[in-house]
Amino acid sequence: MEGAKEMGALLIPKKTRDVAVTSILSAATFVLGLLMLTPFVFMLSASFKPNGLVFVDALRIIPKTLFLDNYQRIFADPLYFVWYWNSIRIALITIPLRAFLVSIAAYAFARLVFRGKNLLFLLFMATMMITPEATLIPRYLLYKAIGLIDNQWAIIVPAVFDVFFLFMLRQFFMTIPRELSEAALIDGYGHLRIYSRIVLPLSKPALITMVLFTFIWIWNDYPNPFMFINSMKKQMITTGLQFFQAREGANYALQMAGATFAVIPTVILFTFTQKYFVQGIATSGIKG
Amino acid sequence: MEMRQSASRGRAHTFRREGRTALLFIAPFFIGFVLFNLLPMFYSVFLSLVNFNSLGQINTNEFIGVRNYVRAFTDRLAMGSYLRSFYFSFLYVVGIIVLSLLMALLLNRKLYLRTASRTMIYLPYVANVVAASIVWIIVLNPYSGPINSFLKLLGVPEGSLPQWLQGLRSALPTTAFIKVWQNLAFQTIVFLAALQDVPRELYECAEIDGAGAWRKLIRITLPMISPTTFFLVVVTVIGSFNSFTLVKVLTDGGPGSATRIITVFIYEQAVRYSYYSYANALACLLFVFILIVTLLQWKAQKKWVHY
Repeated sequence: MEGAKEMGALLIPKKTRDVAVTSILSAATFVLGLLMLTPFVFMLSASFKPNGLVFVDALRIIPKTLFLDNYQRIFADPLYFVWYWNSIRIALITIPLRAFLVSIAAYAFARLVFRGKNLLFLLFMATMMITPEATLIPRYLLYKAIGLIDNQWAIIVPAVFDVFFLFMLRQFFMTIPRELSEAALIDGYGHLRIYSRIVLPLSKPALITMVLFTFIWIWNDYPNPFMFINSMKKQMITTGLQFFQAREGANYALQMAGATFAVIPTVILFTFTQKYFVQGIATSGIKG
Repeated sequence: MEMRQSASRGRAHTFRREGRTALLFIAPFFIGFVLFNLLPMFYSVFLSLVNFNSLGQINTNEFIGVRNYVRAFTDRLAMGSYLRSFYFSFLYVVGIIVLSLLMALLLNRKLYLRTASRTMIYLPYVANVVAASIVWIIVLNPYSGPINSFLKLLGVPEGSLPQWLQGLRSALPTTAFIKVWQNLAFQTIVFLAALQDVPRELYECAEIDGAGAWRKLIRITLPMISPTTFFLVVVTVIGSFNSFTLVKVLTDGGPGSATRIITVFIYEQAVRYSYYSYANALACLLFVFILIVTLLQWKAQKKWVHY
């Protein structure tokens, strides 16, 4: 037995075997990655084809000639970039409001001593268990009562008070050494100054994570505009794109071009800031 | 003695002062949270107990107790939608937990091109849901879409090509698969972080004892990451009921009612038929069901989670 093992080791050196195993697994992982990208590959490919060729020549990934009409039609569309801009604007308004209100509340939960703190925090956490889609109808009726239907603030305002990020930021603030804020307290700093001068600057990674996630979630938000926005001009890219799909019916190539533009911003954002995403998800996951 | 008293007085003083600061810091968030998160929940419970089941009756709001709930339990379409949602959740949760663990195990070791592979695996998570759904509808077109064209090329006979989103039996599993594809990154990242926290020494000890890769996985890795697995299963089950967007865009509940999961059913009851109270009773019931599932998992964790 021992001898056989040694014989084997003699025939194939351990290092070679390791390199072989790593190569095989690397190839397998890479292929899995490519499989994950399959829909996007077809999307890009079809968006550069005339509609007639999308299905006829479905497996030709690189089109014979680059057909740009689809993209020209997207640019000429009177509504597509209105929806695009709506989504961006809603995100740009939500982000600073959320960043401020959530981070200052998170600071209180992480650093201040007050009665009912744990109970209040537990209440916030408990609501995370309720699927937001289950409250679409009561929210619709409430917004209708206060005249927020067909108003983009119906999407912005509720998004500001987000419990997930309250939790994430609190976790992050708690990892900042207490000595720093205690020293500042002795020096006569108030909590507002500690929050803005010490804790926030030290929390850049968590804040960047929050900004990125917020942008992506708003960019991908569908139920809210679907329920609360009626006017075509006020729709976001998601609901707009679905309308676009219905309108173009069998023009698949054009739909693919529309989809491509809708995918681009977040994919680019993600590719360059992957580190923050991974950190954000990993910390919220492990400490949850 | 005196010193202690003054110290405790000082403490009480900070306590009060911090309480005021905390109030100031939390109040804006709290008020908004109550108005826009908590209020809709209570309103939902209230609505489910009154008779607000057509637009004409807006002002009556007559209290009818649990009648909407009784109706739910006797409505075969509603119960069918709950069952469909549970089936969908089962497929999705099992699929994503197994696949993401596999991905994390792969990504946790030394690989060539690891960054490239990782980026590709994570990308669907950030891609616009509606855009991705539109692409899937076209890619999975059963008649001439690229996937079935490819299967034809492989020699699958025309008659037995999968109907994907258009098949009565295949539509729900296909939708669950697309949700797995879309969300895989989250679970993979969390698993990966957990794997990196497993102490190296444990593996080294096992190697000295002559344990192979499989034994190390079963005896060390899986038990060590079981708290994370538990957390992920709980979170994923809850998230699995959040599938309105995907189903609405991919199949709109069809073909027939093959993918009419409960959130889609609730939406239809409210928006199409103006059964607002009934829809809210269904939503509250969904919450109760999710709560029961979560509590059952909490109880069952003793059996397999090692802290």
